[in-house]
Amino acid sequence: MSSKSLKYLTEPLSNSNPIIVQILGICSALAVTVQLKPAIVMGLSVMVVTAFANLVMSLLRNGVPSRIRIIVQLVVIATLVILVDQILKAYVYDVSKQLSVYVGLIITNCIVMGRVEAFALGNHPWASFLDGIGNGAGYASILIIIAFFRELFGAGSLLGFRVIPESWYIDNGGVYANCGLMLFPPMALILVGCIIWVHRSFNKDLQEK
Amino acid sequence: MATKKFVCKICGYVHEGETAPATCPLCGAPASQFEEIKPKGLLGGKDSNAYIILYSVVMVVLVAVLLAVASMSLQKRQYENALNEKKQQIVTALGENPEQVKYGDVIAESALIDKEGNIIADKSEEDVFEAMKNLKGSIAEGVYPIFRTADGSVVVPVYGAGLWDAIWGYVALAPDMNTVKGVVFDHKGETPGLGAEIATPKHQAKYVGKTIYDGEQLVGITLKKGGAKESDSTFAHEVDAITGGTKTSDGVTAMLQTCLNNYKPYFDAVRNAAAASEEALSNALNTENNEQ
Repeated sequence: MSSKSLKYLTEPLSNSNPIIVQILGICSALAVTVQLKPAIVMGLSVMVVTAFANLVMSLLRNGVPSRIRIIVQLVVIATLVILVDQILKAYVYDVSKQLSVYVGLIITNCIVMGRVEAFALGNHPWASFLDGIGNGAGYASILIIIAFFRELFGAGSLLGFRVIPESWYIDNGGVYANCGLMLFPPMALILVGCIIWVHRSFNKDLQEK
Repeated sequence: MATKKFVCKICGYVHEGETAPATCPLCGAPASQFEEIKPKGLLGGKDSNAYIILYSVVMVVLVAVLLAVASMSLQKRQYENALNEKKQQIVTALGENPEQVKYGDVIAESALIDKEGNIIADKSEEDVFEAMKNLKGSIAEGVYPIFRTADGSVVVPVYGAGLWDAIWGYVALAPDMNTVKGVVFDHKGETPGLGAEIATPKHQAKYVGKTIYDGEQLVGITLKKGGAKESDSTFAHEVDAITGGTKTSDGVTAMLQTCLNNYKPYFDAVRNAAAASEEALSNALNTENNEQ
């Protein structure tokens, strides 16, 4: 893989990360990060949708009438999202129940539409596909970081396995209690803010003057 | 016949006629520099209306076919998943572990009963689960699903409204139609950590052993704010409400009250029959004793 293709993959992970640099897709990042497992599945779903939406739109880019291109993009994205939703329902039913409406809402996720409009319409299919994977991975990585902290401090477990021993809890005579705020979306927003802070302090060129 | 159009490649002058002019009247370029402008094809280019309409139609048809095929090929699996979940919840309500005990092992029969508590005849298990699919509608129609185990315990589905959205679950009753063997609750969108706690085994364990009848009155189970106290006379029909989830707790209380009362005629019939047979038994014993 050439260094240029590699850049399509790695750039969205940090320097142009959709969530913490472009501030896109915040809504679902707040909603599905209470636990790690749905966050991972959501991240993968978005990755699949961005990658294939980019690929399909890039293949179609020379034939799409420019006047209806947004509608065509929506149809392509919506089709992919419905397919993902159907597959999740058929094969990972419990996760699909937890994600509920948020899978359907990938359609309105700004990242997917943004990458199709800004990248896929002007680039070759392979580059577009990689760009989709990269942006999906950038989105997923932030979701996983947020979900890690929210599940650990909100429920004392990771991926459903208990990390903080039961005996530490006040109920069982210990001194520890779960942080209830972690379970609510506002805390996810605060966490996003913290991640942006840490990220920018390491990337000076991203800091606004 | 329409005339052809020629454009000068040097200055862009457009000439109309059968052939290109010998020299360009503007810049004097020779005929070889002229190029014919070909009329566009039937659809007239990418931005013509005909092309856009055709493009949309083809796209929509393709997408529709694709989605229809996907939906049909996955439908069976999805339905089985949903059905399986219901069966597992029924097994869990009875206090068994659904990973070890199968639905078919514990439930001897499933039925639909009407408002008078009579079993509606000729309903297969499929019909019962069909009614379960739209439980809210079935309840409104006065058709209530019920599941019975071999030892006479029953499991009934309940459905109601929580704080944000629908809540539902299953209540398992011992053969006396009074003692709760176990419950399972689920919800669509209660607040995580607060109202959503109704779906945790920890909360559900509190219902075991509670009774739903107070004399002849079916009172259900009340989720008491501030905690159920043993000193209260109503303790047998109360469990602790969810801290911070008062509205959801009230929703559960109301759900149990209304849904269990739908089955009251049936429960009463079973209870009376049991009382009658007990009486008959004790009468028989008495007669025997007298004879001796």
